[in-house]
Amino acid sequence: MTLFKYSLIAAAVLGLSACSLEGDDGKDGTDGSNGSDGVNSLVMQTALVVGNSQCPNGGVQIDSGLDDNRDGVLDSGEIDATEYVCSPGNTSVNNAELLSSLNNSWFVAGQQEIASNKQTWLDATAVASGKNATTKGPGQGKAKNIILFMGDGMGISTVTAARILEGQMQGKMGEEHQLSFDKFPFAGLSKTYNVDAQTPDSAGTMTAMMSGVKTDVGVIGVNENISRGDCSTVAGNELVTALELAEIAGKSTGIVSTARITHATPAATYAKSADRNWEDVSDMPQAAIDAGCKDIAWQLINFESQLEARYSGLDVDGIEVVFGGGRRHFLPKDAAYNTPDAVSSVEGDRTDGVDLTANWQLQYPGGEYVWDQTSFDAIDASTTERVLGLFNESHMQYAADRANDIAGEPSLTELTTKAIDILDNNQQGYFLMVEAGRIDHAHHAGNAYGALNDTMEFAKAVQAAVDMTSDEDTLIIVTADHGHVFTIAGYPKRGNPILGKVVNIGASEPAMAADGMPYTTLGYTNGLGYRDLADVTDSDASYAAAADTGRKDLAEVDTTTPGYHQEALIPLADSETHSGEDVGIYVRGPGAWLVNGTNEQSMIFHLMNYAGELTEKADAALPVAK
Amino acid sequence: MKTKLSKVSAMLALLLCDVAQADVLPAYQSSSQWYVDAQTKLTEKLHTNNQFKAKNVILFVGDGMGISTLTAARILEGQMSGEPGEEHYLSFEQFPHTALIKTYNVDAQTPDSAGTMTAMMSGLKTDAGVIGVREEVVRGNCASVAGNEVVTALELAEIKGLATGVVSTARITHATPAATYAKSADRDWEDNSDMPEGQTECMDIADQLVHFEHNLEARYTGVDVDGIDVVMGGGRRHFLPKDAAFNSADAVSSVEGDRTDGRDLTAEWLEMYPQGKYVMDQTGFDAIDPATDHKVFGLFNESHMQYEQDRANDIAGEPALSEMTEKAIDVLSNNPKGYFLMVESGRIDHGHHAGSAYSALTDAIEFAHAVKVAMENTNPEDTLILVTADHGHVFTIAGYPKRGNPILGKVVNVGATEPATADDGLPYTTLGYTNGMGFQDLGSETDADEVYNQTNAAGRHDLTNVDTESAGFHQEALVPLSSETHSGEDISLHARGPGAQLVQGVMEQSMVFHVINQALGLVNE
Repeated sequence: MTLFKYSLIAAAVLGLSACSLEGDDGKDGTDGSNGSDGVNSLVMQTALVVGNSQCPNGGVQIDSGLDDNRDGVLDSGEIDATEYVCSPGNTSVNNAELLSSLNNSWFVAGQQEIASNKQTWLDATAVASGKNATTKGPGQGKAKNIILFMGDGMGISTVTAARILEGQMQGKMGEEHQLSFDKFPFAGLSKTYNVDAQTPDSAGTMTAMMSGVKTDVGVIGVNENISRGDCSTVAGNELVTALELAEIAGKSTGIVSTARITHATPAATYAKSADRNWEDVSDMPQAAIDAGCKDIAWQLINFESQLEARYSGLDVDGIEVVFGGGRRHFLPKDAAYNTPDAVSSVEGDRTDGVDLTANWQLQYPGGEYVWDQTSFDAIDASTTERVLGLFNESHMQYAADRANDIAGEPSLTELTTKAIDILDNNQQGYFLMVEAGRIDHAHHAGNAYGALNDTMEFAKAVQAAVDMTSDEDTLIIVTADHGHVFTIAGYPKRGNPILGKVVNIGASEPAMAADGMPYTTLGYTNGLGYRDLADVTDSDASYAAAADTGRKDLAEVDTTTPGYHQEALIPLADSETHSGEDVGIYVRGPGAWLVNGTNEQSMIFHLMNYAGELTEKADAALPVAK
Repeated sequence: MKTKLSKVSAMLALLLCDVAQADVLPAYQSSSQWYVDAQTKLTEKLHTNNQFKAKNVILFVGDGMGISTLTAARILEGQMSGEPGEEHYLSFEQFPHTALIKTYNVDAQTPDSAGTMTAMMSGLKTDAGVIGVREEVVRGNCASVAGNEVVTALELAEIKGLATGVVSTARITHATPAATYAKSADRDWEDNSDMPEGQTECMDIADQLVHFEHNLEARYTGVDVDGIDVVMGGGRRHFLPKDAAFNSADAVSSVEGDRTDGRDLTAEWLEMYPQGKYVMDQTGFDAIDPATDHKVFGLFNESHMQYEQDRANDIAGEPALSEMTEKAIDVLSNNPKGYFLMVESGRIDHGHHAGSAYSALTDAIEFAHAVKVAMENTNPEDTLILVTADHGHVFTIAGYPKRGNPILGKVVNVGATEPATADDGLPYTTLGYTNGMGFQDLGSETDADEVYNQTNAAGRHDLTNVDTESAGFHQEALVPLSSETHSGEDISLHARGPGAQLVQGVMEQSMVFHVINQALGLVNE
């Protein structure tokens, strides 16, 4: 703003003469003639209205000058100076002038969410500012129950794409949709690398989450001092897991997975193994067997006695709920042990002749061993104290392929619901790990349809858990172990089918790449590449042929079918690979407010440990402490 | 590894003394560095911050800085300081609060910077390609702007009497910075020559920047503001007449200016702000004295500023993003009422578009450095710092490279010393893109945009004898496109300071405005 200095100039000064340099006094001169009368100086004030260019908020304009024509009025030509005294500007805008924002539904929703987030924060931290914060931190010990949901391979891009697909299947555009855990109050990022691997595997990552300590790729429940595959290095490097602590503390425990229950992720809750691949005795080198290492299936069935053996005088009751696939690792390699659900002519893989399911039944005569939908449905959660469910020879079916299971098997949501129903019979609370193992497998097979459908089923299982529990006593953590090289590309318009080809904003036909061919929104940097298997819902069907990478003419291909496999750049027939970027952690319940920022993946154990006071309660339960 | 106390010795101790405690965890677990570090971090997390009101807010936007970019830049920065890299943290990854951000625009599944930054600055989602207007606008239609202009956090801060600043390594008229101050039916209307004929009632974006003060005063009754105090970025061409006589010493083209209306907006700015400093090179920048210079207008390049690694090649020299950030904070801090500052690293996005991970990551590292400078020059008790991106890129970290493997290198598996090979018998890089211009081996070239002078080379190439860690290496891509594209997955928001606690969970991108608004108390409740 330009401001003019206010000055008054008297006409009389015109008559003054300047002083000269000092010299000898001269003679007095003659008197001069009288000057004429000076003109008056006038000042005029004008009120300025709001919106004036000099004073946007109004004010006063002060004009000054000499009344040259002596009419008593300051005419425009007589103004020598102008000054403005402005009213101070408004320091906020009247809401009536912000209606283009305030009437907008996005804006309104944002204002409401801020208010609710503030309340969430205040509620979550209320204990911190309250009593005895010096000895016990906020929210400590309030998580009676802990459920850890693991979306294997469910990176950030998978969550976004699954969210859009679920929304679109409900008739929405999709992007605005929220998966169940998108609604959780807190989220953080998890750094997934293993001690020896930039891009990790599920064994090292799940060991980090279950034990609070990062370790090498490929090893289960042991620290980084292990040599992978070397049985002799296991002793003295075993890590205690959150599930074991919960078990010692007297809580009920459960493991649910759509993968083989001996696969890396579930195994890291209960087993110690120099190699994730030692799922049964036939998978182990003779040297490891001779050295006394036990296969993972055996460790699961003998979990109770193994844990008790590690602590003198400890008496635990074992894992209450085990649901998953991988029956082959529990049965002898003998067709006589086949179930009606067998896929192979000889279902079992065990070469030691042991039937671990029988072994389990012997240990737990009151327990129920189930292996298909019918026997699963027959479980009465109110009376059943313990279950072992092995629903497939290998992994359970992809969610989209479940109808093709020979004897029928439950969905992840059904498994989760039943598990909680059984576990919550314990007044001490429970620890439950639920894995969607096949999100990862479908990505490995380059099949976004399979991965996203399994992610949606996973989100549904999370919702079931939310519906059955209270955030006042149950901590629910949803995360992934690592991502995949899976991208959401191009500039598709809003609501464009997420499994479709890119159609730009304003367009109705697919956009063309520089090679003149359309391209899909979803794609992979490596893997087996393109397949058009139409209605085949088994993602693994892609392994039947060699990798077929690079660009294909998709003009006539329906890329939204279950059997469509996305293009890939680098041919890897083994499978599409994991990726190394951070994954999300989504949390609700006691202690959830501590999940924020960027964290090492091992922090997840510490969160569960803190919220559930696992080590404290387990320490207290150890007989030696009494 | 040191063993504090083994289980056996604990049990023995118990026999002698019944105050000893049982240790359910073996000492090698509870004293493991991983375990101890996590316990320390958990303790830090337990310090609750219940201050909600901030004096200053700084919004850092890493354009195109998706989650995979963060991880890769973190590893590169760590490796450049001699670490394996994965365990490293970028400056803002140590911030206590985070959320995941849904980036889509109202009309686009995968968004652009105009729609996303409008969401962040104005608190509501809008269409792709439009600036400071809500979704009722028709892109490219000037007449549809009136009545759909939305107020921005920068404008509200200005009205409140706070100092304001906009800093970018992109053209200062580019979508992200423009969305802090302009209203435009098209992000491309950077100067009058970019606008279609017959839409004369709409002002180009450069014009709106220079005449921000007047326009804002005209828009809201009784508002009397002093204009944006710090503007630093590129894009000089949009402010100068298309006449070689107006060329600066830093000109790249024979005629630097693009304006066809004959106006020199830098001169207009100086006329309005006679005490202001207009600068266009490193020397001019260095001469700014924050103690006496309270209004600064810096246009350091004809178009975008240089990629950080290419900065030495700038004709007249130009400051780094961290230098601009520090200077901006120093100037803005003169206002006792506080300030709002937006800092964009615009060229992370451009590096990715060009398929150059090297450029994208080194610009991301400079961005993290700028955030660090802001952390060091502000008080976490009174300054809310938000760091986010507008969208991601189709950029992946692939294969099973061993720990510490050079992030720009070829995949070398755990236990191996030679690169792994794909089924085509060829090695492959850890970093890659699913689309774009694809492979180039431009040696030591630090200008990623040089790729646009080459033919598209998407698909696989024999990298056996290629140094993929060089500045001029461009990663392979699958789908051939004239520019690698944005991606649609969620990105992250990192926050520290008063009000940072409200950054929670998974949020729509427009929540960034509301977090700022809450902290500064901008819109009347």
